[in-house]
Amino acid sequence: MTDALVTDADAGAAPEPDATGPLYELENVRRVYRTGGGEVRALDGIDLRIARGEMLAIEGPSGSGKSTLLQLLGALDRPTSGSLLFNGRDVGRMSERDLTALRSRDVGFVFQAFNLIPTLTAAENVEVAMVPNAPDRAARRARSTELLGRVGLGGRADHLPSRLSGGEQQRVAIARALANDPRVILADEPTGNLDSTTADEVVSALRALSEEGVTVILVTHDREIASRAARRVRLRDGHIDSDESVATIRSLFAPPPPSPSP
Amino acid sequence: MFHLSYIAQELRRRLGRTILTALGLALGVGLVIGIIGVSQGLHDAQASVLAPLQSVGTDILVTRVAGAQPTDGSSTTSTTAPDQANGGGGRGFFRNGGGGGNGGLNQQDTQALLSENQNVVTDLAKLGNPGDQFTRDFFLSATLLSFPDDAVKQIQSVPGVTSATGGLVQLAEHETGTVPQIVASIQTGGETFTQTVRPDPMTDAERPAFQQCLAAKGVQIGGNNQSGATNGTTGGTGGTGGTGSTPPADGGGGGGFGGGGFGRAARNPAFEDCLPQRFQQFQAQFTTPLRTIQQVVNPPSTDIKNESYTAAGVDPANPTTGLVTKDQLTSGSWLAKDATDQILVNVAYADKKSLTVGSKIPINGTDYNVVGLVRPTLTGSTADVYFPLPVLQNLAGKQNRVTQVLVKAKDAKSVDAVAAKIKDLLPGAEVVTTKALADQVTGSLADASKLADRLGGVLAVIVLLAAFVIAMLLTLSSVAKRVREIGTLRAIGWSKRRVVGQLLGETLTIGLIGGLVGLGFGALVAVGVHQFSPSLSATSTGVPGLAGSRLSGLFGQATSAVHTTTVTLSAPLHPSTLVLGVLIALLGGLLAGIVGGWRAARLAPAVALRDLG
Repeated sequence: MTDALVTDADAGAAPEPDATGPLYELENVRRVYRTGGGEVRALDGIDLRIARGEMLAIEGPSGSGKSTLLQLLGALDRPTSGSLLFNGRDVGRMSERDLTALRSRDVGFVFQAFNLIPTLTAAENVEVAMVPNAPDRAARRARSTELLGRVGLGGRADHLPSRLSGGEQQRVAIARALANDPRVILADEPTGNLDSTTADEVVSALRALSEEGVTVILVTHDREIASRAARRVRLRDGHIDSDESVATIRSLFAPPPPSPSP
Repeated sequence: MFHLSYIAQELRRRLGRTILTALGLALGVGLVIGIIGVSQGLHDAQASVLAPLQSVGTDILVTRVAGAQPTDGSSTTSTTAPDQANGGGGRGFFRNGGGGGNGGLNQQDTQALLSENQNVVTDLAKLGNPGDQFTRDFFLSATLLSFPDDAVKQIQSVPGVTSATGGLVQLAEHETGTVPQIVASIQTGGETFTQTVRPDPMTDAERPAFQQCLAAKGVQIGGNNQSGATNGTTGGTGGTGGTGSTPPADGGGGGGFGGGGFGRAARNPAFEDCLPQRFQQFQAQFTTPLRTIQQVVNPPSTDIKNESYTAAGVDPANPTTGLVTKDQLTSGSWLAKDATDQILVNVAYADKKSLTVGSKIPINGTDYNVVGLVRPTLTGSTADVYFPLPVLQNLAGKQNRVTQVLVKAKDAKSVDAVAAKIKDLLPGAEVVTTKALADQVTGSLADASKLADRLGGVLAVIVLLAAFVIAMLLTLSSVAKRVREIGTLRAIGWSKRRVVGQLLGETLTIGLIGGLVGLGFGALVAVGVHQFSPSLSATSTGVPGLAGSRLSGLFGQATSAVHTTTVTLSAPLHPSTLVLGVLIALLGGLLAGIVGGWRAARLAPAVALRDLG
């Protein structure tokens, strides 16, 4: 978390105080979907700790459970069993309302399809995320202007998403994810709809955030993208297949990549 | 509020859906407002038509209609309407009158009723010699029977009755033309018949008595007897022929015998005295008496023209209650007390006949001055010409009789009870409350009113329902298209409530727009109605019975007893109607928002993460 991201707009957000210890603590987390035919064990005993400020990539083939894990990490869903602590709080025991509040304050989402609201301008799309926390319109506008400037879209604040390129839209989405100064950015295949150049820009932006202290978790099946994260967690059939620190590997076999420019 | 700009953007972005939904609601609202306005206008029109009746304060109208269904066995007023109309009957009434005790409908009544319909036999011959020109007004009761004045007093004594006033309504036939040869005099009789009859021979029982008688009178009998028998034979033959041409009751057949058989012998009086009785009665000759038979022949077609109008008698001394009241005067003045040559004329009739205040109408030798024009109530007993009651009674030959009694009850609640009591008192009477009369108002006004109330109501409900359903379906489809957007909003921290609030805001805004546009539509309807100002006619049969009279049919003329009033329709828009219209549209928006919001609230936020494909 940087000072630059802390503005008066956060006054209404009343963030939880930082608890000591890791941001996420998952112990034996299971998520079982009951379908007409029987049970689907999307996650079957996940143990995972994610430290504050970490940049983590979750990899795995389709059906490995990576999307389910992202939903649990983003407080969009609750585990069937096991405990999932976020900032020291048990998400599994939280009410729907508390989950909503948690998402609005502590989580920023970046989606594969950008998920901007097509009828709203870039600035308004950023402001939408602040509505639950900051009723003050002027404060919202100031914050959105600042954030769009940070992602390099200062001159495009009044454009509708349809007038922006894919990369620009995703950068608006990143600005929106940052709007409430979250503890974590969850990115679901953020580069899936982008060409490689633009994808590189977006990953660089996320990496920069991570370096500023924001926890960044990105779900991807792209090894190249995953390799940009400091830590790679590979899932298979609902289990953690491997969990390794890229930095260690890279430091052993490869020179560091060029420093990203946001 | 952030909502407002989001709502505005959303509605602008999905303009087609917005316009379609708003237009549906607007049509529904416009229709409802229009229908309410027209309905209001119709009710206003009806009220204006019926208002004079209320102002008269007549609660109950008592009439007697020939041919009316008897209420029970003892109250058969009349069952033979055609007979009464022809003046030959009143038989039903006779029976009734003979029974007596039927609330004053006694023998006297019966006579009066007979006389009131005598006028109907229009013996035009009485108007002058055949070939003379004539102008004559006949006043007929038709099937509307009259009461004696006593009935008014009787009704006055019924508890709950504040006042009872008599009125007389007559169907007048104004005829002009040449007196036709209607009555033919035929002279018969005066003929002398001669005949011979052969009587049966004297029986064995009669003969000894005859001979004994003659012997006692010293008459010799012998060949003479034989000769008498021969003569008798001849006479008998002639008698057979004579029987056919002479009424047998006259006993003329016997005359032949007397003449033929005993003509010469009768010179001796002893013969005559001794003959059996049946022989003595015969006469040889007789003359039928002279008789003149008056026969009414079918009226020959002459140049007689007739026009009918209705005439009513009102009490000049009572300008507030009656068949017409001073309130209903549109120009001129009310009848003077004790006036004998003043009349009031219905505005409609005056228009038709180009009559104004000051016009004179000659009726049966007297000139009547039109002193005022009146616009009588539709449901009351409307007439074309109003006479002072005694004047019309004289003209119609119905002294001290009235055809209807206008009753005012103490209060509205007692009307039905009073009506029932009057029915008991005058079993043959038709007792109608003004409320029932108001219900009889027919014509386009009543039709339109019914149409507006029934069809209009149904139409409005259908259109509104359709508009609501369309609004809901379009909102549901919008939610389905915005699943990802809604999921995203939920994922980035919008609560269900906030999402539903957003959708409600959108649909309510559409409802508001629809409501306001609907007000415009409703106003257009009102302006359109005002522009075209369709005339509606209200028709009342007025006096029960008179219009449907067979008598009017007798003269081949439609009576003017069916009265029509024309009013112009407007569609007033009351503020409450406008508010209602907007509220209806907002309700449509609310329903659509609730349906859409319910659907949106069921979406899991995780849908935001789903792949596009």
